[in-house]
Amino acid sequence: MEILVAIGLDTVSFLLTLLLVALGLIIIFGLMNVINMAHGEFFLLGAYTVIAVTQAGGSFWLAVLLAPLVLAVIGVAVEELVIRHVYHRFIDTILATWGLSLAIKQAVIVTFGATSQSVGNPMPAQVDILGVTYPSYRVFIIIVTVIVASGTFLFFYRSRLGLMVRGVIANRAMASSLGINTRLMDRGTFAFGAALAGFAGAVMAPIMSVDPQMGVGFLIPAFLSILVGGTGTLLGALLGTSAIASANTVIASLWTQVAAQVAVLTLAVVVIRIFPQGLTGRR
Amino acid sequence: MLTVEAVAAGYLKGSRVLEDLSFAVDRGEIVAVIGRNGMGKTTLVKTIAGHLRPEAGSITFDGRSIGGLPPHRIAHLGVGYVPQGRDIFGEFSVTENLLLGVLGISRVSSTLPEWAFSRFPVLAERRGQRAGTLSGGQQQQLAIMRALVGEPKLLLLDEPSEGIQPSIVHEIGRTVREIARERDLTVLLVEQNLDFVWATASRCLFVENGRVAEAATVERMRADQSLIRRYLSV
Repeated sequence: MEILVAIGLDTVSFLLTLLLVALGLIIIFGLMNVINMAHGEFFLLGAYTVIAVTQAGGSFWLAVLLAPLVLAVIGVAVEELVIRHVYHRFIDTILATWGLSLAIKQAVIVTFGATSQSVGNPMPAQVDILGVTYPSYRVFIIIVTVIVASGTFLFFYRSRLGLMVRGVIANRAMASSLGINTRLMDRGTFAFGAALAGFAGAVMAPIMSVDPQMGVGFLIPAFLSILVGGTGTLLGALLGTSAIASANTVIASLWTQVAAQVAVLTLAVVVIRIFPQGLTGRR
Repeated sequence: MLTVEAVAAGYLKGSRVLEDLSFAVDRGEIVAVIGRNGMGKTTLVKTIAGHLRPEAGSITFDGRSIGGLPPHRIAHLGVGYVPQGRDIFGEFSVTENLLLGVLGISRVSSTLPEWAFSRFPVLAERRGQRAGTLSGGQQQQLAIMRALVGEPKLLLLDEPSEGIQPSIVHEIGRTVREIARERDLTVLLVEQNLDFVWATASRCLFVENGRVAEAATVERMRADQSLIRRYLSV
């Protein structure tokens, strides 16, 4: 029973963080038809924002607040300098963002070194949940990511600005003829997606080893989640991350991390074989 | 109101669909653009709406040159666009479709006016329904109203009667004419369906090979069937 609760909590916290990364990816893909290979590095930069701020003597909490802002600015810069010039050439966007991810990774190595660093646990206390002693910081991650993820869903499905973004996703030419500045939407959405990933990286920093390769560890499951869930709606990201995160966490805690990755990849292949458009996609 | 002068445009560089096309439309006029398929009618409307950049010539709307501006700027200046095939947002509700007609235009209120639903009663009945489930005629009414709630001065209508039962075609045509009179709206209408043209337009432009070959009032057209034979029959 206790092991089930512990696995359940681990699954939920991994799922939600993965969801923040996947949401950014899926929104950027939906809006601009850009597969952002550098999205993992946005996550990475979020974590390194925490390193930079705490090394400079700032508090961890300040860093968590700062990370999405830093990444939003970086997102605008990336959109303006790279994406904007290639977004109508699908294959080139993959190459360009992949190149960008290499460049960001190397820049991080040059600045912070190649070795892994750790961030002190900002909430060392333990809490008792259904008879399981669980780190309170992980509970904090669950709460705050639920808030951010629901906020994102509410923004897209309940707000007027969200309706405009969905309008651009559904029919870019028509939306622009209704007076919507699609360039502004692109830039804003890219910054928003980057900020989500940066925020995810920042909150995960204390429970991961922060190293220049950590972005890929989230990018790949986020991609698999989107493929499994389907790219048509944000709900697909939720469904996909649920499937990937629970399979990954359950198998990893019962067996090994390597087995989990093999199993998750196999699962993704099988699901995509049966549902080529993802679980939420229409046939 | 709208002056198109010596405009050349096309989809690929070097292959022009419009070739030295000129005409002018006065405020409050409803002008139909008539011609066979492939003569450049849709290309003309797309160029005015900003979806194609004119390779030569000028387009002046309300005293401002709009040729080559991005579509959202042209929309802001007061050009409403109902494209061929309607392009409604099929996954969104009727209300959401109409909202998208006002949200992008900063000079109009971001709440929908009452007449958004009263003019075409079917839109009020189906407010919450997914727009993709509406019939062709209802979708057309939605697309027209979505353009109108942005309070344009010029409305571009591309083949509004396409794929719609004849009874509704007439009704839509009459309503467009009424709205245009009430709101001092200028309409440029691309249409093959002569019933619709008779119900709405006052003047016709005959387009052939990317040029305006002839212009005539609707009365003259009805009197002289040879014009229709020359420019429409295959």
